[in-house]
Amino acid sequence: MKLDQVDIRDAFFDQLYLRGSENKNIVILSADMDAFSLRKFSREFPDQYINVGVAEQNMINIAAGLALSGKSVFCYSIASFATLRCYEQIKVNLCSLNLPVSIIGAGAGFSFGYDGPTHHGHQDLSSMRLLPEITILELSSNDLAKKSIDYLIMNKGPLYLRLDKGPFPDWSDYKIDFNKGYRIINPLEEINLISNGFMAKESIEVAKKLKLKGINCGVIDLFRVKPLPDKLYEEIICRSKKIITIEESCKTGGLGTALSEVIAQNKNNCDLQVIAAPDKQFIEYGEREWFHSKYNLNDKGIVSLIINNL
Amino acid sequence: MISNNNYEQLKNKAAVIRIRALEDALRAGKGHLGGSFSCVELLVSLYYGGFIRIDPKMPKDPNRDYFIMGKGHACLALYPILSDLQFFSKKIYLEYGKNGSRLGGQLDTSIPGVEYNTGSLGHALGICAGIAKAAQMDNREIRSIAMIGDAECDEGSIWEAIMFAAENKLKNLICIVDRNRLSVTKKIDSEVLFGDFKKKMNLFEWNCHVIDGHNYNEIFEALDKTTFSKKPTIILANTIKGKGVSFMENDIKWHHSIPSENEINIAREELGITNVNI
Repeated sequence: MKLDQVDIRDAFFDQLYLRGSENKNIVILSADMDAFSLRKFSREFPDQYINVGVAEQNMINIAAGLALSGKSVFCYSIASFATLRCYEQIKVNLCSLNLPVSIIGAGAGFSFGYDGPTHHGHQDLSSMRLLPEITILELSSNDLAKKSIDYLIMNKGPLYLRLDKGPFPDWSDYKIDFNKGYRIINPLEEINLISNGFMAKESIEVAKKLKLKGINCGVIDLFRVKPLPDKLYEEIICRSKKIITIEESCKTGGLGTALSEVIAQNKNNCDLQVIAAPDKQFIEYGEREWFHSKYNLNDKGIVSLIINNL
Repeated sequence: MISNNNYEQLKNKAAVIRIRALEDALRAGKGHLGGSFSCVELLVSLYYGGFIRIDPKMPKDPNRDYFIMGKGHACLALYPILSDLQFFSKKIYLEYGKNGSRLGGQLDTSIPGVEYNTGSLGHALGICAGIAKAAQMDNREIRSIAMIGDAECDEGSIWEAIMFAAENKLKNLICIVDRNRLSVTKKIDSEVLFGDFKKKMNLFEWNCHVIDGHNYNEIFEALDKTTFSKKPTIILANTIKGKGVSFMENDIKWHHSIPSENEINIAREELGITNVNI
């Protein structure tokens, strides 16, 4: 199967399966969370897989103990639960000890739209941004999902990775440098769109639609949200008249806030427009596309927000 | 049974630790003495009784036993031991409580011999369960020991770890509960958890020993039993907050009161220690 036809969870876990077969030090903890490609790992490597049950706090504490004993640990749960339910465990037991544990949060943004605000991934990224020692990655393509595994295994500290679902593009043509933290998908223009995850591929569509209206935009996949890449300011912000961040998280504390901090704290002539979900808990139910349409987060809505703000 | 000679040595260690803790608290103007004193015999047994196999010269040896003191605010009982066993120098020991000192009001991993950054309750048992699980996976014969307070047992994460440890048959995991019956603000005399504790823990598929946490024979016997255990073990050690000094015992104010020089002199007489050479 071609890489762009694969569910991003399979791209991610199939590679982890491969590394797990070579490296018995890799252990996956799941808080009763399933994924098709994870079953193969749990079935074939039962000694490297622990389902801790519906107990996210314990999952992080067990992970800390395993990592203190030299294991390379992955924790898997729904993004909202894997971050907020066990926030202090992550802060104290992973971050303050700087332990190499990767938390994999499934259900970014509105991807679990029907399951209500408990399951929406809207505050996971912003809450993780507050933790000083953590690295945050958000996956925008299947090649990135696949390549992220080796980076996670080599990484020496705590890491949060947002994992989406469904097929994602193959952007193998665009080089991934984890130390750099971003990649330019469409060449830089005066106006540049910065996004990641699900919204990166949406941003490509937005750029196409804007081009038809005579507005050229660069597109940057900022897959490492924390620490924000050193070169982002010099190489992107200083060369832009306007940055537009596009994300599916709530407006407070996420990608847009991260960029606003950099732009506001440095001298530059760059404007910023933040396009994100409103700062609220969505006690309503529907498909991701329905939420996107309602809150101007589909390509049509985003294009109109951009044009109205030019 | 412990020989009379060993018993006297252990008793003397405990008395010295209490006096040092009092002096440290007075010198620094801060410290949690009540909960330190309740666990002195437990710590003395672990470190001087040979139950924690850890070489002060190689405190990160992967084959060491792991000990995490969840109630890290009782560090005034541990610092004198780690200093005495030469995990760190006397110079560092005497820095306790000073600005910028490595030895503060909680334990952290910059201190040789300390595995965990304490301060927030309810985490130690789960982390020790993870350590025990890693040892089980690697067939390493080590002990993973958590010491927690009775008030700490209110934390839900303790009970997530209790279930995990039983389900995973972590026979190398030991949890010692310092049952001193006083938290910061209240008496912990409810029977909801601690009534019929052994029976309850047996139902959770843990071994359980309920002991006098100031009696070396009972402590050693309970710890000895863990060696051939097939299950995780919890030791409910009945203790007295402020144990060993009459005016401190069972008085809630000694959770974090600081003694005067005169009070330390009274304590010296009661503990039979007139001269402590640091």
